[in-house]
Amino acid sequence: MRRHTGEASLAQRYSPHPKQVRVQGLGRGFWLVTALLTLLSLGTTYYYLFGSIDWIMPGASHPVADRASDVDGLFKFMAVFGTAILIYVSGYVIYFGIEFRARPTDPPDLVGVPVHDAPKLELWWTVLPTILLAVLTALSINVWYKIQFGTGAPALTMEVVGHQFYFEYRYPGLKTSVFSKTEPMHLPLGVPVRILITSADVIHQFWVPEIRLKQAAVPGLVQNLNYTPLRAGTYDIACSEFCGPDHSVMHGQLIIEPVADFNKWLEGQKKAAASAGATVNLANGSADAGKATFAQKCAACHNNPPTPFDQKLVGPGLAKITDDPAHPTLVTGKPPTPANIADILQNGFTGPIGTMPNRQANALSDKDIADLVAYLTSLK
Amino acid sequence: MHAGTTTTHDAHDVHDHIHPAPEGFIRKYVFSLDHKVIGFQYFFTGLFLLLIAGSFAELVRLQLTKPEGAIMSHNAYNEMFTMHGTAMVWMVLIPLVTGAIGNFVMPLQIGARDVAFPWLNMASFWIFPIAALILFSSMLFGGPHAGWTEYPPISLADGTAGALWCMAIFVIGISSTMTGLNFMVTIIKMRAPGMTWTRMPLFVWATFATALMNMFATVALSAATGALFIEHVFNVPFFDASRGGSPVLFEHMFWFYSHPAVYIFIIPAFGVVSEVLPVFARKPIFGYKMIAFSSMAISILAFTVWAHHMFPSGLAPWLQLPFMILTYAIGIPTGIKVFSWMATLWGGRIHYTTAMLYAMGFLITFTFGGITGVFLASVPVDLHMHGTYFVVGHFHYVVAGGAVMGFLAAIPYWYPKATGRMMSERIGQLSFWLFFIGLNGTFLPMHWLGLEGMPRRYASYIDFAKSNPDAQFWNTFETAMSFLMVASVGLLVFNVLWSIKHGKVAGINPWGARTLEWTISSPPPYYNFKKLPEVYGRPYDYDRPLPYKNTDNELDEYPEYGRVLMPIPTPAAVGA
Repeated sequence: MRRHTGEASLAQRYSPHPKQVRVQGLGRGFWLVTALLTLLSLGTTYYYLFGSIDWIMPGASHPVADRASDVDGLFKFMAVFGTAILIYVSGYVIYFGIEFRARPTDPPDLVGVPVHDAPKLELWWTVLPTILLAVLTALSINVWYKIQFGTGAPALTMEVVGHQFYFEYRYPGLKTSVFSKTEPMHLPLGVPVRILITSADVIHQFWVPEIRLKQAAVPGLVQNLNYTPLRAGTYDIACSEFCGPDHSVMHGQLIIEPVADFNKWLEGQKKAAASAGATVNLANGSADAGKATFAQKCAACHNNPPTPFDQKLVGPGLAKITDDPAHPTLVTGKPPTPANIADILQNGFTGPIGTMPNRQANALSDKDIADLVAYLTSLK
Repeated sequence: MHAGTTTTHDAHDVHDHIHPAPEGFIRKYVFSLDHKVIGFQYFFTGLFLLLIAGSFAELVRLQLTKPEGAIMSHNAYNEMFTMHGTAMVWMVLIPLVTGAIGNFVMPLQIGARDVAFPWLNMASFWIFPIAALILFSSMLFGGPHAGWTEYPPISLADGTAGALWCMAIFVIGISSTMTGLNFMVTIIKMRAPGMTWTRMPLFVWATFATALMNMFATVALSAATGALFIEHVFNVPFFDASRGGSPVLFEHMFWFYSHPAVYIFIIPAFGVVSEVLPVFARKPIFGYKMIAFSSMAISILAFTVWAHHMFPSGLAPWLQLPFMILTYAIGIPTGIKVFSWMATLWGGRIHYTTAMLYAMGFLITFTFGGITGVFLASVPVDLHMHGTYFVVGHFHYVVAGGAVMGFLAAIPYWYPKATGRMMSERIGQLSFWLFFIGLNGTFLPMHWLGLEGMPRRYASYIDFAKSNPDAQFWNTFETAMSFLMVASVGLLVFNVLWSIKHGKVAGINPWGARTLEWTISSPPPYYNFKKLPEVYGRPYDYDRPLPYKNTDNELDEYPEYGRVLMPIPTPAAVGA
């Protein structure tokens, strides 16, 4: 690649009858390069089809769900052709850039081959991509259909509700919910599942990368995801639609396990639900520890350092929770005693002002509740 | 030497008189009606905002060098990427590609003395710094946090800052719409005598296709931001589901504009590449008619594909299919262009100026971005990739590797015409390599990070780093490579400013190009053409004799000739 020497040389490079580059059709170099690019494309094709792409598509070689392998098949088709097109385009651009560069020995008025059109070539490079895209359309519709309708009647229907900043899982027969900060979501292996998804506040997205399919949790809408888990294991759930300050830590875990283990877990949840609700002992709460807990577990939604009530983040400011002339009671309507504050921390609250998640949703231990109550009541 | 049809209307049909020269500093440089001055104003304002929005991007990248977030709180990070995206889309890209390049070049290329509505043009410009001020003032109220898309309901938490965001976008939309109207009328009505549609330079075709989208799509954005503003300020629940509104409605309204917006970024860049490649390969553009036609096809198809941004978001399932198919379809005219550009290189005699380097680099990086777009067009695969870093990688390849590369090619190409000086080639070539390597280094790893499971708009990625131990390495690598782009932009700014005084004096046609702007002095007089040229043929025929002789001697500062001969090649001439 020769550096351009100055604009004067370009400006003078014309004359009434400019000389043209001599190119005898597509030369030997062109075919050599084409062969090389074809070899490269065959290589990448082989890699996508027979190699392991687990490093970019997690779980590709051992699909975690039936739909995941459908999506991966489509991805591989596109990867094969997309990579080949990129190889050819880049390869030819670089080759033409070298082969047809201006040389220092060129006569000053040398111009390129004045070809404006090549109708047959243009026809092929329109028709072939169209055919490729038509095939891709057919394959995509096939996978789309399987995703929408392929699972048939699910054996398990459960619900996922997105909140700021946790997921709530509801199972049939389980009166209370399971919260992502305290407990993973469980699914039974080999059982077709329908997951109904919605949100209690803003738009979230429920995504398990190994399962591929994600759906938005939209307030006011119920979306559904249908698939059959095929591989036991523990997988990450990530929120993938911006939902507020703690969007990047809104996570969960999904455990896929044999049916017997799943049933045992569900029974355990039912028992825990029955014995929950005992009042927390507030006697040994530490305001200092509570300050640290507040920063860690409450600051996503309440301003820290605490602010007056009206300076909201997601929830109201808590600086004057025990002593605010403008708000003499808590949001529950009760007087701001330690026990009533602990009640909100324990059971949550839903009202016109919004939703305060319960202790499971916020992953608050008994000690956390005691410390927080001590801290909040110490604020003046 | 002309062997073509004569014009069907004479020179008196067009606006043939020259207005008196503008007088006074204010009229000449501040409230100027001259499209060239307005182009400069857009250019420097946009470049300034590019530096600000780019700094925000660097803060974003620095944050991501540690999984727990390296330098700021979640809230501050969210504000940074939101302002980066918002400012880049509306306050940098659109003003630079349409307002700066389009304004300066298009009237010159059609042989006009100015745009159809110069006063409207001036108003369109002055709205731009006002909108930018409104946008940045939102940072005084806490700033918007929900990304450049500011979806409700979460964006409703932004309060006053959110309302100001809506206002800024609404206001700049007015500028876009007016410019779109202005350019469309200019191109339809004010082409030089004899310049039929098929004798127009391809940059003008691109400007026309872009103006069409600017004019008709921006109203949807005004509706979306207007409704969101009303919801912020007057509590009308358009989008609040708990009171009967629909968040998905906002997404439809927003993306109905924002999808054509991305084509507004890229089609002028296509036009620039179509101008630069023939000049520096010394041969005609291959497939002129198909490139022109595909620009128009893309412009119209752009209005039909918006919901591919919403595949997981709550569309009725059957609705996903037509959007998927149309998005695939829009790849065909784009592919035709890329192949035509490659064929333009074949058999040429390539001179490696800075502009040519950017145009050729564009072919590689834009193609890569376009291909990852096809992945995202497929509903099943998009369900995996939506909201991840794969998308961030895709759009930065097409925007930074496409639109910005086209813009960076346009600068050294038309700078000599605008200022009468050449930019430094050495600095330009270094800028190119820094940008090209930096771009690929920054945005390539994002593709596999996204596929592996890293969502976008994440202020920290602790859980992802636990399951992907190389996450921190790649993020830090990307940050390091992004500084190459910073260096490149720094060199560009230096080159632009330094060359005004120290660049080599440019002649009228330093590149030996064949479009009309290269027949007048550099810089042109305020009236552009003393006599409106009459056009007889196509602009890219390097095998034909130049339409004028002895450039250095014949053309003085105020050219007097009335005819520019650009003959249609006869079969005998080709291959002689």
